[in-house]
Amino acid sequence: MPQFDLATFSEQIFWLFVIFAVLYMLMSKIALPKVGEVLERRHKTIEDNLGKARALKDETDAAIAKYEAALAEARDAAQADIREATEKAAAEHAAKTEALVKKLSKKTADAEKAIAGAKDDAMKGVADAASDIAREATDKLIGVKVQAKTAEKAVLAIVGE
Amino acid sequence: MAGPLEQFEIKPLAELSVAGIDVSFTNSALWMVLAAVLVTCFMTLSMRRGALVPGRWQGAAEVMYEFVANMLKDNVGTAGRKYFPFIFTLFMFVMFGNLLGMIPHSFTFTSHIAVNFALALVIFVGVTVIGFMRHGTHYFRMFFPEGAPIATAIILIPIEIISYFSRPFSLAIRLFANMTVGHIMLKVIGGFVGLIGILGVLPFALLTGITVLEFGIAALQAYVFTILTCIYLHDAIHMH
Repeated sequence: MPQFDLATFSEQIFWLFVIFAVLYMLMSKIALPKVGEVLERRHKTIEDNLGKARALKDETDAAIAKYEAALAEARDAAQADIREATEKAAAEHAAKTEALVKKLSKKTADAEKAIAGAKDDAMKGVADAASDIAREATDKLIGVKVQAKTAEKAVLAIVGE
Repeated sequence: MAGPLEQFEIKPLAELSVAGIDVSFTNSALWMVLAAVLVTCFMTLSMRRGALVPGRWQGAAEVMYEFVANMLKDNVGTAGRKYFPFIFTLFMFVMFGNLLGMIPHSFTFTSHIAVNFALALVIFVGVTVIGFMRHGTHYFRMFFPEGAPIATAIILIPIEIISYFSRPFSLAIRLFANMTVGHIMLKVIGGFVGLIGILGVLPFALLTGITVLEFGIAALQAYVFTILTCIYLHDAIHMH
């Protein structure tokens, strides 16, 4: 078997060491640093981009939070405005209603007074008419002329009961 | 018809000798050079643009880098980081050696025990030196685990010593045996194809299957060689 031919060992081992050493130098000094650098650069780029994306996301989140805060503030302000306006309107309305009520009750009172006056006048008229009728009736029935004053007194005495 | 062992023959291409030692440039050395050139081209040309979004070749080179880097990280941890270039070179060199051997009429330098054992010995010595540098004489604890009853020392220490010193052998012989047997098998079964006429389709089908298997073994044995190195490195750095 050629593998066990000791005469070939020295030449094989010599060239193995020479070539392996050269290859080792080429790999460690030129090839591998380049690969490592490329991989490192890629890793860094990815990290950078991720970092950038994260920063942008944070910024967006902050903007959203700000927007939401502004929105909430505006909503609160609007609600306060609405409440104020409603209250004002309600107060105005209440005042108007009160004034109207006052006006109406005054009118009612006036009217009632007028009615009462009219009623008194009417009652008086009725008494006068009754005393006239009573005088006429006594004159025709028994021929006695009753004084107007007496008749009026008598009527009032009955009506006043 | 060439014998099944002929493919393993070392043929000098240029006779050389330094200080009386034969260092001829052989077919083995030629294929080592080819493997080294291919690895270098693969790892540099594909990364030439160094694009942020890798293309096909760059992706392949990065996959190899990360594969070995993860293997080292998983087995040794961050302390193994500085041995990464060595582990990477080892893996690529062995794997390309194995795969180049799959080309018909090529030469598989990893099928030679001298090459594998030299590599294994470098790893063994290196790992041992790293162990002693990190732990001093405490590294001898490797041969007698902490917490074991003192009475077991008489059995445990020889076993641990033998297992420790058998590492380079198992490393070298595993790769040598896998590569050699695979190639002999391919050659022998390939020989049948022409010999038995129309029935040759049967060994041919078998040969096709085994070729696929051999590609798998070529990659797998490079992986095994490297991961065992990582495990030895782990032992040297973290003890058991």
